[in-house]
Amino acid sequence: MLVSDIKSRPVYERLRLDRAARRHLVIADMSRPLDEVIDGLGTATAPIDHWVVAATSAVDARPAVERADSGSRVEKRAFRASAHLLDRLSHRLARETIGLRLYAVGEEGFIWNVARLAREAGMEAAECQTAHAGSLRRDVFCVHCKTITPGVTTSIAACSGCGAHLVVRDHFSRTHAAFMGVQADAEAPGEYAPAEEIFP
Amino acid sequence: MTIQFKPEETFRDDFSYANSDAAVLRFPFPFPEDTYMYSVNIEPHVPGGPSPAYDNPFDVDEHYVAECAERARVLEQDPSRCKILPHMMAAQWDTLELIMESFATSYPELFSLTREGTRWTWENRPLGIRDSFTFGDASTLPLPPFEYITRQAQGDFTLQDQREDNLFIDGGMVTTQADWSLDFDVGMTFHQWHGPVPLAHQKGVFDRALKFLLRLQFGQPVRRLNWTMTINPRLDTSPENYPQWGPDRTTVTAENVGRKVHLRVELQSLFRLPRSNAILFGIRCYLCSIEDLARVEIWGKRLHRVLRDLHPDIADYKGLTRYRELAVAYLSAFDDGAALPTGTAPRQSILPAKG
Repeated sequence: MLVSDIKSRPVYERLRLDRAARRHLVIADMSRPLDEVIDGLGTATAPIDHWVVAATSAVDARPAVERADSGSRVEKRAFRASAHLLDRLSHRLARETIGLRLYAVGEEGFIWNVARLAREAGMEAAECQTAHAGSLRRDVFCVHCKTITPGVTTSIAACSGCGAHLVVRDHFSRTHAAFMGVQADAEAPGEYAPAEEIFP
Repeated sequence: MTIQFKPEETFRDDFSYANSDAAVLRFPFPFPEDTYMYSVNIEPHVPGGPSPAYDNPFDVDEHYVAECAERARVLEQDPSRCKILPHMMAAQWDTLELIMESFATSYPELFSLTREGTRWTWENRPLGIRDSFTFGDASTLPLPPFEYITRQAQGDFTLQDQREDNLFIDGGMVTTQADWSLDFDVGMTFHQWHGPVPLAHQKGVFDRALKFLLRLQFGQPVRRLNWTMTINPRLDTSPENYPQWGPDRTTVTAENVGRKVHLRVELQSLFRLPRSNAILFGIRCYLCSIEDLARVEIWGKRLHRVLRDLHPDIADYKGLTRYRELAVAYLSAFDDGAALPTGTAPRQSILPAKG
């Protein structure tokens, strides 16, 4: 049961700007045009911050101001890597006041790391929307050694911590921002199905 | 009532755990009918029923001392089995109060609780513990209150916080579990942590159970039974240690099946807690070899029929697939096919000799 209807598996809807917000922060794991990832831009009044991962050391996260179609202010920043962005996000959330709405779009490991920081900063679940985009590859939490192996695309993958061959289950933890991995051949060592590419 | 504890028995390595005849007869057998399917089988947790295991809020039996020692061993190797989110401190004290009061009332010869305002003294004679502390002040106990008291109780416990019309598993002490991980599931909603269970979601079991539990009242606890099977009397069948216990499933033979295969029953109880409004979920595990169960005539026959006709998805989920046929073949020798009365009571007061 690798891909199933397990209820811990997130179901996503398109992002939509919350009209009750005082500030919006839209976060993406790569350069994705705002109007492709979020609805409601035409009527937005509150200022929008738009942070993206550029995946290059050539950027420095400096703000660049644009105007949305509605006329609201859009401040864009590009970060060198997701770790760089998440570090900046923790800093920002620690100083935020009520009225911020957070939106994360990208691969699952990324968006749930954003959601975890939001939760740790005391935001309500409804104040942080997530939407999946891009590869289906998964971050896998090894239930035996607690290592998270990122970017798994196959039904069975070696844990980067203890080396066990893990079955990637459909059971997802928002706390760990990862799927559960369980040793495939624990009962009979060496006895497991060949790995198939199922999360391209 | 005196309980003859067996402090030396083990749930790992040489597996010296065994049930006395009295313990077999009080086993909370889970099958009132010849077939099994998931259902919301919740009933009031009031004293009485087909087994003395239901007579108290928290049952203490002959395995108490050994089970507490086993819990301490698991925690020494893996402290992540006890995890509580920071906002659950009121629920920790609620749990300590509920278990201490229940134990002292149910088993006054074993436990006593003296309260003078917030100055409490707790005495646990079987484990040789005596502590005085200030209720509400965690610095006066040697361990955080939830860990302190659940180390002195049989069975696992989880704490469910209630908010947003949902229950969140925001803490627990889980060392005797049937293959689920608290460390992975902590913080999940009711439907999320039950995610891997097959069939029951489609039947609406969890929707109905959640609605029911959100209305659970203080002072009106409820209970249900769940079951699976375990090879050897092993309490710690955690996913964390699956590489250690998984190979046991390949060791069952026609010769040893009666002794190796154990029915594992969870007496699950749910209590609304008074200060925190959280729910304490007790998951008390009972283990009995199918050889011993078959000494109760009605149980041997019924278990044979349930296992033989079990839905394959449930057998798979419970991990029975490798040895189910051997167990069914073993039990078939005890089943003459006669119609059985509905219910779980053993309907006999002595057991025939073993073997």
